[in-house]
Amino acid sequence: MATPSTALSTHRNPADSRLNALLDAAVDAIVLISERGLISRFNPAAERIFGYAEAEVLGRNVALLMPEPYHSAHDSYLSRYRTTGEQRIIGLGREVLALRKDGTTFPIDLSVGEFRNGEERGFVGILRDISDRVRSVHETEDLRARLAHVARIGTLGEMVSGIAHEVNQPLTAIATYASACRRLLDSGQSRPADLAATLEKIAHQAERAGQVIRGLRSLVRRKDEQREPLDLNALVKEVARLTDFELRQSSFRLVLTLAPRLPTVMGDGIQIQQVLINLIRNGFDAMREHASGEVIEVSSQALEGHVELRVSDAGGGIDPKIVEHLFQPFVTTKATGIGLGLSICRSIVSAHNGTLTYHLNDAGGTTFVLCLPALDWEEP
Amino acid sequence: MSAASATVFIVDDEEAVADSIAMLLGSVGLSTRLFPDPRAFLAHYQAGDAGCLVLDVRMPRMSGLELQQELIRRHCTLPIIFITGHGDVPMAVEAMRAGAVDFLQKPFNDEDLIRRVHKALEIDAQERALLQRREELGRRWAGLTAREQEVAQRIADGEANKVVAADLGISERTVEVHRARILQKLEVRSLAQLVQVVLSLREARRGGLPMDGRDAGPGRSPPT
Repeated sequence: MATPSTALSTHRNPADSRLNALLDAAVDAIVLISERGLISRFNPAAERIFGYAEAEVLGRNVALLMPEPYHSAHDSYLSRYRTTGEQRIIGLGREVLALRKDGTTFPIDLSVGEFRNGEERGFVGILRDISDRVRSVHETEDLRARLAHVARIGTLGEMVSGIAHEVNQPLTAIATYASACRRLLDSGQSRPADLAATLEKIAHQAERAGQVIRGLRSLVRRKDEQREPLDLNALVKEVARLTDFELRQSSFRLVLTLAPRLPTVMGDGIQIQQVLINLIRNGFDAMREHASGEVIEVSSQALEGHVELRVSDAGGGIDPKIVEHLFQPFVTTKATGIGLGLSICRSIVSAHNGTLTYHLNDAGGTTFVLCLPALDWEEP
Repeated sequence: MSAASATVFIVDDEEAVADSIAMLLGSVGLSTRLFPDPRAFLAHYQAGDAGCLVLDVRMPRMSGLELQQELIRRHCTLPIIFITGHGDVPMAVEAMRAGAVDFLQKPFNDEDLIRRVHKALEIDAQERALLQRREELGRRWAGLTAREQEVAQRIADGEANKVVAADLGISERTVEVHRARILQKLEVRSLAQLVQVVLSLREARRGGLPMDGRDAGPGRSPPT
């Protein structure tokens, strides 16, 4: 029945009624191709999903249904398989992009099987449009980003008076240095070296104020979640600048114990900073209520395949009443809290494929451990 | 007594702010000393040191207000100019009520600070002159005999010689002799001046100002 020379040999054959019924009834698109990639069957679901009629595509290269870079590479995939027999997709399935007749692309789950019929060999592809699923994942991400942003703004609102103070200090120094310089100039007794040294101090203070503002601005910005290579030590230092002031006012200290070299982590820097700010401020709140020491320590460490950040406070530990519900939304022991901090932290961390855990520490307080997968882990 | 021998003590945990204030005050010829926190200042400060205090309200461990209370407890009258990053009204009220000379909000106008520091130094100089005078009077008072002190109190309270003599069981003539010795020892020339001296000594005692000598004040509690 099949002639080896023709790619269309599996084309609707009235005798093959069982296969026809199967192809017609399938909800998923099913495309049969020859060994060389020429389309031999294109079921009704495929017609609907791609916008081509079967007659339009029969005998054409299946690469037509793919956007770049797959479009150009597909023939080489097939020839590699013919020569090496190495299976890259067959039997596995994966998420790829497909190209409609109108030029738009959409995500699909693709699974591929191989068939032999006498001397004829070919492949069957089953394609499911997963636009909806992908869209809902994006919507979830977007929601999480929005929620995180709202929580961030709320937290910053609580921190704003401390931050204002932190900016006011260098401004005061700048204004006072400047007027001292002017007076020295007016007096005619100024030596250039003195003035130069003071100008240097002014520049330094301006830089200090600028750093606080930069840290603040990036936290306030609302942007889509993004993944970029992160230096966690640098993030910790920036966060320290924004939170240190509040602690000092209560005679507490923030101590950073950072590993000299950390592998890079992929993630959204602002959201990771948000988690750190939340953990540090939680520790601070706990210590204001009950302090067994005066230090909050933030440490970083490289572990196999991971980077670990620890925030250890010297508060009174966690209220046993809420231990079970610690990461649930709207559970709080604070008079003014709404109980979203830790639940948002955990959802941020999960979205980074990391973990957020805690344990009681030797100081009687709580240590939160934030563990994130390292991007470029090399055995030391 | 002049501002030249006085020191402006600057207590601020914010190094750059303290340093810039010192430079500004230095530019108008004032001498300054910097302290990173109230304790360092307390460890260094001697009761006799003239000057004024420029004090940050909020500092870790010991706040400016706490330092103010400690100085009051130690009967130290060093005038205080508070500076703060927050325009905390309740804090300002508390500080002023406890006797602060002034309250400035960061960042402040340079003229404002200099003017207020000058005013505080002036207050301190007056205070010290007054204190010195009282100490001197206290020393003179201590030079009186017990009987002379008794007579001086009564005369200052307006009792006639006759009444004093009768009350103490001595002759009116003896009272007059005491009176002459009292005027001489206290280095005053008239009854009016004697009254002034006794009143100011009583006031010093009431005000709890630091005074040398256990017999420095009038021995009898003031009638009011």
